[in-house]
Amino acid sequence: MTKRTWLGRAIGIVGMGALALGITACGPGGDGDGSAGGGAGGDDELVTVGFVAVGPEGAWREANEQNIQDTFSEDAGFELKFAPAANLDQASQIQAFSSFIDEGVDVILLSATAGAGWESSLQRAQEAEIPVILIDRGIEPDNTDLYVTRIAPDNLEVSSSVAEWALEEFPDGANYFVLEGPAGVSVVNERNEGWDAVMSEHPEFEKIGAQTANWSREEGRSVFETVLRANNNDIDLLFAQNDEMGLGAAQAVEEAGLVPGEDVKIATIDGTRAALEALADGQLTFVAEYNPMFGETALETVNTVLDGGTVDPYIIVPSETFDSPEAAEEALPDRQF
Amino acid sequence: MTQTYSRLRAGLGALAHKPYIWGVLGIVALLIVNVTRDPGYLQISVNPANGYLAGNLLDILRESAPIVMISVGMCLVVATSGIDLSVGSVMAVSGAVAMEFLQAASAPQSTMSAAMALLLALTVSSLLGLVNGVLVAYVRLQPFITTLITMLAGRGLAKVITGGQNTSASSDGLAWIANGRVLGFPVVVIIAIALALLIGYLVRRSALGMMIEAIGINETASRMAGIKPHGLLITVYLLSGLLAGVAGVFSTATVMTVDVSNTGYLLELDAILAVVIGGTALSGGKFSLGGAVVGALLITTLDKTVVFLGVPSAATPAFKAVVIIVICLAQSSRVRALFRDRRGPVRMKERVA
Repeated sequence: MTKRTWLGRAIGIVGMGALALGITACGPGGDGDGSAGGGAGGDDELVTVGFVAVGPEGAWREANEQNIQDTFSEDAGFELKFAPAANLDQASQIQAFSSFIDEGVDVILLSATAGAGWESSLQRAQEAEIPVILIDRGIEPDNTDLYVTRIAPDNLEVSSSVAEWALEEFPDGANYFVLEGPAGVSVVNERNEGWDAVMSEHPEFEKIGAQTANWSREEGRSVFETVLRANNNDIDLLFAQNDEMGLGAAQAVEEAGLVPGEDVKIATIDGTRAALEALADGQLTFVAEYNPMFGETALETVNTVLDGGTVDPYIIVPSETFDSPEAAEEALPDRQF
Repeated sequence: MTQTYSRLRAGLGALAHKPYIWGVLGIVALLIVNVTRDPGYLQISVNPANGYLAGNLLDILRESAPIVMISVGMCLVVATSGIDLSVGSVMAVSGAVAMEFLQAASAPQSTMSAAMALLLALTVSSLLGLVNGVLVAYVRLQPFITTLITMLAGRGLAKVITGGQNTSASSDGLAWIANGRVLGFPVVVIIAIALALLIGYLVRRSALGMMIEAIGINETASRMAGIKPHGLLITVYLLSGLLAGVAGVFSTATVMTVDVSNTGYLLELDAILAVVIGGTALSGGKFSLGGAVVGALLITTLDKTVVFLGVPSAATPAFKAVVIIVICLAQSSRVRALFRDRRGPVRMKERVA
């Protein structure tokens, strides 16, 4: 009997150990990177930049954060301290933010996982006279006194560029459907706004409906399959608010025995590698980029700010659009996300 | 003739007393709603482009395959008065393993690679199920806590496996499992039905089901009656993990992409719901595999109906909640008793007197 209990305990301890290992393994992998940069200090000329980042979220985010890390290199005169959030947790971001203030870095870059709740942290940075630059994500309420500037591509602009393309592609109008991200997310609202602003003035475009597919390829396929059935395949244009949903929908179109690009034209936003490959293949018809590569812009802004110059409170990163297989093929070799 | 009729009537009578009758009625009601929107809803036709049978009913069946899998696993776990919250995450892990393997494989199109990917994915999922089982059976952790941990760790594990990316791969073998047809009929549906029937047969034609129920009613008493709960507990959690692995392969292979944050996300709740709609009590001690399948079908029908009717995205959760609460109320014996009493107030008075 005693033996049994011991056996049970031993298994328990091993099991717990395995789980604990599993959990630590899922923690922020970047922690080590962040502190590794600190040791290299000693050269007083380097400008220290603290980057409170989002961490693993998807291809777009990875490209964005990698690009910033590459740009703020030691060769360029910077020492970047990279602090990704643990599991998209805002608390860990606030903690990293405070420790950057305590260390007295020269500039803080912030990509907030959640918009609200940054007031007191930003005020502390202001008291310590550390300029804060928002990267991609905004804060709520959007109080421009609390930060220097926000650098991001503009969702409104990107989605209206898709709508403008649709006007040219279908001069006589079309029946269109919209695949959205999860309801209530700011990106979704902005992308809808940009599209609707253009479409509302063109009654020849009839909106058949809109459904969420939660940014997911699998759901995009499943939802669009049913949408096609519900409308007897009578849909000319699909506006998918991200690449993944559009790629799933393209599969649904093929399974319904239709030809993507001919029977149903699909336009998506993001411009990931997978989407451009599909565009080159003719599965998608139009891809609007939501440009993640703005390390250079961030670097220039940081320099301007440190030299005492003024910058606009919102710097829009220009994004490209791809409207043909040829354009996609041209862009593919140096696509980084 | 009269004999068939009476047998049919007896069959219907038996069905009416099944705990999942309300689930069946729910499905029928949803289908009727869809038919009023479009009279051709139930029609199944042959798609001239690829020779597949096509139709909304087949879409529903195909879509329900992963949920059927996790619901069957969940049903057995719930019967032991446990719960398995990790199934959604295990789906993501399974998909991640399969996709990463195929992406790295030298010949991803070969049947061998597809089989290896499948085997590897199912092994890892079963291991996760085994961890749950051991922790619950031997360490005596609460099933809720144990599987909650595996649920969080599992999604993290999936992210580690793919490096936080959504990995895509191509493999004709796996794609055939998810999208292929046999005589125009979807392969996933055939596999899902076969697995559900096999498990149902094993559990109900042997004493296994009864022993599982015995554990759910009172584990100590069941041990005294000569049942060994440890092995059985491990078996049900392992089976649940394995089936979640199958579901993960089903759902990632349809688009040949694993989406580490979305694959299987919150599907454990769908599975629990399916089990409850099927008439299995969360307190354990009795279960209905057929009911779990009906529940899974109901949930998919509901999802598809929402899209078919074009319910606005923002209102979708509310719409689903209303349908489900109505079914749960209809199932509740207390609510039914209330209505019976309303209809016959005289009897009530008699009883009071």
